[in-house]
Amino acid sequence: MILALTFSEASVIGLLVAAVQFGTLLYLAALGETVAEKSGVLNLGVEGMMATGAAVGFIVAVETGSPWAGLLAGAAAGALLSLVHAIAAVGLGADQVVSGLALTILGLGLADFVGDGYTDDARRSMFRDVELPGLDGIPWIGEIVFRHSPVTYGAVLSGIVVWFVLNRTDVGLGLRAAGESAATADAAGHSVLRLRAAAVMVGGAFAGASGAYLTTYLVGSWSQNLTAGRGWIAVALVIFGAWRPGRVALGAILFGFTLALKSRLSVFGIDFSPILLDMTPYLLTVVVLVVISIRARDKPSPAPAAIGIPYRREER
Amino acid sequence: MKRLVLARREIPTRGGQPVAFLFGLAFALLVGAILMQISGDPAIDVYHRMWERSLGSTDTWSVTFNRAVPLALAGLAVSIAATMGLWNIGAEGQILFGATAATLVGRLFPDWPGPVLITTMLIAAAIGGALWALGPGLAKAELGVSEIITTLMLTEVAIRLITYLEQGPWKDPEGFGFPTVTERPPQAELGDLWDRTHIGVLLAFATIGAFAWFINRSVWGYELRIAGSSRHTAAYAGISMRRKVLGVLLLSGAVAGFAGGIELTGTAVRLNAQISNGYGFAGIIVAALALMRPSAIPLVALAFGAVQVGGQSIQTSLGVSPAVSTILQALILFGAIGAAVFSNYRVVAVDRQVPTG
Repeated sequence: MILALTFSEASVIGLLVAAVQFGTLLYLAALGETVAEKSGVLNLGVEGMMATGAAVGFIVAVETGSPWAGLLAGAAAGALLSLVHAIAAVGLGADQVVSGLALTILGLGLADFVGDGYTDDARRSMFRDVELPGLDGIPWIGEIVFRHSPVTYGAVLSGIVVWFVLNRTDVGLGLRAAGESAATADAAGHSVLRLRAAAVMVGGAFAGASGAYLTTYLVGSWSQNLTAGRGWIAVALVIFGAWRPGRVALGAILFGFTLALKSRLSVFGIDFSPILLDMTPYLLTVVVLVVISIRARDKPSPAPAAIGIPYRREER
Repeated sequence: MKRLVLARREIPTRGGQPVAFLFGLAFALLVGAILMQISGDPAIDVYHRMWERSLGSTDTWSVTFNRAVPLALAGLAVSIAATMGLWNIGAEGQILFGATAATLVGRLFPDWPGPVLITTMLIAAAIGGALWALGPGLAKAELGVSEIITTLMLTEVAIRLITYLEQGPWKDPEGFGFPTVTERPPQAELGDLWDRTHIGVLLAFATIGAFAWFINRSVWGYELRIAGSSRHTAAYAGISMRRKVLGVLLLSGAVAGFAGGIELTGTAVRLNAQISNGYGFAGIIVAALALMRPSAIPLVALAFGAVQVGGQSIQTSLGVSPAVSTILQALILFGAIGAAVFSNYRVVAVDRQVPTG
């Protein structure tokens, strides 16, 4: 299988840089899903929200010439789309799995509908790498960590903010309570439905931003089925990361690495089908879930206890 | 000061779901029309064409019926898993791997006579689908790993497996360099009932009927219903939950895989990743709209088949994105969710100061 490994410093650094780039894509979406699930709402619509964010973000970036406008528009589109899930699964108490999957179908459809025939060249309205002055000079690490698009730095910042809000603020406490025991949260004076709807929309905004990042930085163009299942990886990452923003970030880098490796196999002289390698994030997810549950057999699950359960005050 | 709240009805309104479904359809058509209006597409023409090319003329009935087959079987697969409160989100992957297994049989025994080969291919497809569900089934039964995620992940794996086969091991040497799998043996084609409506329609009905009988009349089905409704009763009756969970997911996978076999021998000539064009996912919506009842699945599947087949025709003739059909399918569900609220709940006006305890 392996013919001749050709490791050069530049190619290894390039691989790790790409791992961070793909990791950013996964992290944004997974972080948003973490917020939603922490409040007790599983949203399987990530793939669809990502796709819609990718299409809308790209079009807006091209039309305005600003990747920032594209990113914002992508986030807004994702949030707006997630409102459908918030209404159905939170407001009306529909099954979260069904509603989320329908949201993915809706999002993929909307993305294709909006992006239909949209093939404009967009090189001038893409994000560019920003080198953090002083830090980017550090050998190896400087290049890998401190020379990225603003979105990557934003993702790191978002992770810290989400962690802080979830763990150190009243809103975060209420949100987590809604995800653990909705009735208790309600009794404590938190508006469960409002918190959950807000959490779902935050998740939608992140997924949409992730999609916009895909088109305004990673790929630089829009095409059908561009997300290609990355949204599903983001959903799996939340479990992988045990619903903790820090650990989810770790998982995002790891899975980002496998995505990055795919396009670089030939660079390393590895004769292995890139398509088979493309399976690894998904297979890895299954393996990891199995390993986690074997190890955590006798421990309480880190999953929010009320996830998937609709809440209605009358039924208390 | 009064405010409006939803109060659960003691008994859901009878016949609520068909009404909810029709409402969902109307809702989808309306929102779809608004979307097309915004983008400058002729909504009325689009709907007219979709109707004409699906159910509106006898010429295209066959295509619509054939399309309803994988949707109905995927829906059945989902509802089978639901008997145990499980979500088989990966019917898509099981359909694909079922078709892959059937293709393998076709490659191994290209000279077998048609009926024997088809039968073997369909059995292989069902086994393939079950195999694709085996991992998630074992992980769920033995370790409690969420079948939602694992079945979903394996769908992505199945898509890539087929792409791999297309480019490498099963690449058609006469495919002019295009990455396609060699065509299945020509005799492995399902016969037609009438026009181009293939026998798969009959097979789908038979499968749905068999499951309905099985769940209502057999001992295993009886145990299944007990286990699905109450863990405690099941434990008391000595029913093994683990074996039920695994069995149900295997059966669900087998039905989905069977659909893949029917697609390969019915409408397709070769294996590719589009052999299940989102049928597994649409099947989840079909099952949900049918409230997981096998008897309601064929009709819902037919409606979805019509929307899908109709949607394919609008690009070439009207230049409108076929994504309209995708959007409509999702909107039908959301509309029905909204409407179903009124069969399960009623709106009541209560005083502002409601005792919250």
